[in-house]
Amino acid sequence: MKKRIICLALAALFCLTLASCATSSPSANPGGSNNSPVGNNNSPAGNENPAAKVEITVVSSYGGDDGNRANYEAAVAEYEAATGNTVINDATSSDETWKARVRTDFETGAEPDVLFFFAGADADAFVLADKVVPIEEIRTVYSDYGSNMKDDILNTTLASPANGKAYVLPMNGYWETMFYNSEILADNGVTLPKTWDEFLAACETLKTAGITPIAMSVSEVPHYWWEFALMNNAGMENHMVAPKEKGDDAYNAYVQTLKDIKDLYDKGYFPENALTILHAEADMLFSEKKAAFFADGSWAVNSILEHCEAAGTDPDQVKFMGTPTKDASKRPANSYVSGISMGFYITRKAWDDPDKREAAVKFVQHLTSDEIVSKFAGFSSTATKNPVVMADAKPIQQNAIDFIASGEGFVPAAQDTWNADAKGDLFKNVQFVCAGEMTPEEAVDSFLALNK
Amino acid sequence: MDSMIYRRKWPLIVFLGPAFIFLIIFLFYPFLQSVIDSLHNTLKLGSPRGDFTGLENYKRLFTDPMMRTALFNTGKLMLFTLVFQVGIALLLAMMVDNIKRGAQFFRIVYFFPIVISATALGLLFNLIFLYNGGMINQLLANFGVKAINWKEGGYAFITMLTPVMWQYVGFYFVILITGLNSIPEELYEAASIDGAKGLQRIRYITLPMLYNVIITCVTLAITGALKVFDLPWVMFPGGIPLGTTYLTGTYMYDRTLNFGEVGYGSSIAIAIVVIGVVAAQVTNHVFKPKEY
Repeated sequence: MKKRIICLALAALFCLTLASCATSSPSANPGGSNNSPVGNNNSPAGNENPAAKVEITVVSSYGGDDGNRANYEAAVAEYEAATGNTVINDATSSDETWKARVRTDFETGAEPDVLFFFAGADADAFVLADKVVPIEEIRTVYSDYGSNMKDDILNTTLASPANGKAYVLPMNGYWETMFYNSEILADNGVTLPKTWDEFLAACETLKTAGITPIAMSVSEVPHYWWEFALMNNAGMENHMVAPKEKGDDAYNAYVQTLKDIKDLYDKGYFPENALTILHAEADMLFSEKKAAFFADGSWAVNSILEHCEAAGTDPDQVKFMGTPTKDASKRPANSYVSGISMGFYITRKAWDDPDKREAAVKFVQHLTSDEIVSKFAGFSSTATKNPVVMADAKPIQQNAIDFIASGEGFVPAAQDTWNADAKGDLFKNVQFVCAGEMTPEEAVDSFLALNK
Repeated sequence: MDSMIYRRKWPLIVFLGPAFIFLIIFLFYPFLQSVIDSLHNTLKLGSPRGDFTGLENYKRLFTDPMMRTALFNTGKLMLFTLVFQVGIALLLAMMVDNIKRGAQFFRIVYFFPIVISATALGLLFNLIFLYNGGMINQLLANFGVKAINWKEGGYAFITMLTPVMWQYVGFYFVILITGLNSIPEELYEAASIDGAKGLQRIRYITLPMLYNVIITCVTLAITGALKVFDLPWVMFPGGIPLGTTYLTGTYMYDRTLNFGEVGYGSSIAIAIVVIGVVAAQVTNHVFKPKEY
């Protein structure tokens, strides 16, 4: 009898342990109503309904080593303090694994209440399944939702390719261009190149002097160089046009793009271990002042600053330039890749719950207010009607701001319109083209077959 | 007596049931879904299942040159694992078993690498083998030797192998030393009386008595080599250079997560399971457990 009781007790304990692993259902948080409104007139996270404290789940890519992680966590804390609501903050770095996890969450009904995600083809599945709420529907209840944003950007650049509707309110955009170390160029008597031929000559001079001209991981991150070389061959006007058949203009531009990258590889302008160096190592090479040029984006400015400081090199010497042009009439020298590709979605799950709807809308409005966007954007582009100003910019950050201000135009990333299969295949094949194991034509043919 | 023990079945059901249900939900059901996925052309993880393609993904396994590379590398890894991981572990276990003082210390030291996260180890060894300023190249530079790209050509596989071998020697060491401890001391005493020396004791007593444990380690090493992922991926993502360092685990991951080919990735996963089961069965058939 005693043994039976012990057995039953152990079994019950095991079952209780399993049951307690389930997440608890959201409940209103008790608490005082002493929270003051946050921010300026454009930030609506005020304490309008102190009794309805709710818990919302927010998934974003402001985790890991994202340059705006601290800003994001501070903004979330401000919202919580102002409203008394609780934010379950699920923030990680953006990569293919994260995107897959987000899509899986929607498939299994475990989507968050608010999602910071891409506005492009990556979101097609849950947009078409009506699991997120369009801005036009939100504005039927909250007429001032996103009123500080430019509607033309919301309805065009950020419209879903699945159905043309606007779903996201963005924080800040991004840009991708060439970083260069002005001290290396000056020490080796190299003038900042504007044309492609000048660039090749500069690289040859640097290579002779024992400096790695271009820090790049051919195997891991050829993405930026792809975009820059494509800008030169397709021109600004046709940068976003993907090939539809073998031999069309876009096809030829893609082939020439691969040839240009291979040419740089064959001439030895990439690191000696270009086929095995990882992007983080290329970053280190540049930060340690062992390479003159490095391609990356706005998110890398703060990390390059940190890496230079850690390496004992002068971050103030890091400046920005457009990739040297082959034909200035097709593509100005100071042009670059830029866009706004991510923003906040409100899910149907949150929208259908009256308490969560209010909390989610207030959260997004707070995060996308002019005040908060200014902190995030710094030297990036935004969709706000009012221009943003970065306070206390460090020299490298000011260099970035100056470059963007002097920019002669930008294009979005061509790869954002490709399907995942084709994208992975083409970028994978860049290394094979460089190594001579595949022709540029074969690589583009393979891409064409997959990009349907 | 045996029939008395199992007369009351409900304790079995109560205690084995929850774990079995757990396995069904988190192992068998996902495995079944993988099998179904392998028969479809699903793109992008998290997307709805794609079109039914039958055995097309499996046919592709036989024509995909990268899959051939992955299988070949995994086969090499299995061989190296058997010789170096299990072999070195056996040597260390026999040496530690023969010492009186410090045995516990060596057990801890040899087992310690298992405790460290494989990802952390991968990052550590990346720094050791780094071309620009890595530990080994810095040492070579002190002797006036030019930096070596440890991730290129003939060096790549050895560079990938070294940390994998180093990490899991301790795992087999612990299994083998436990097996050694279970060998009755009387056998060695009797052998000493009969005049058996060191190597003879190993050959006629230690190895035969340890036979079943060694076979278990061989089976674990073979199936482990098929699944290894984390450390090789951190050091050689995407099978760099040029896909030459793919293993079955890393290739499956690359195809599924980076290329979004969920169907093909699932077929690779099923192939890994099939190969593992076949290899384990062949091992057990060739090296039948013996009773001494």
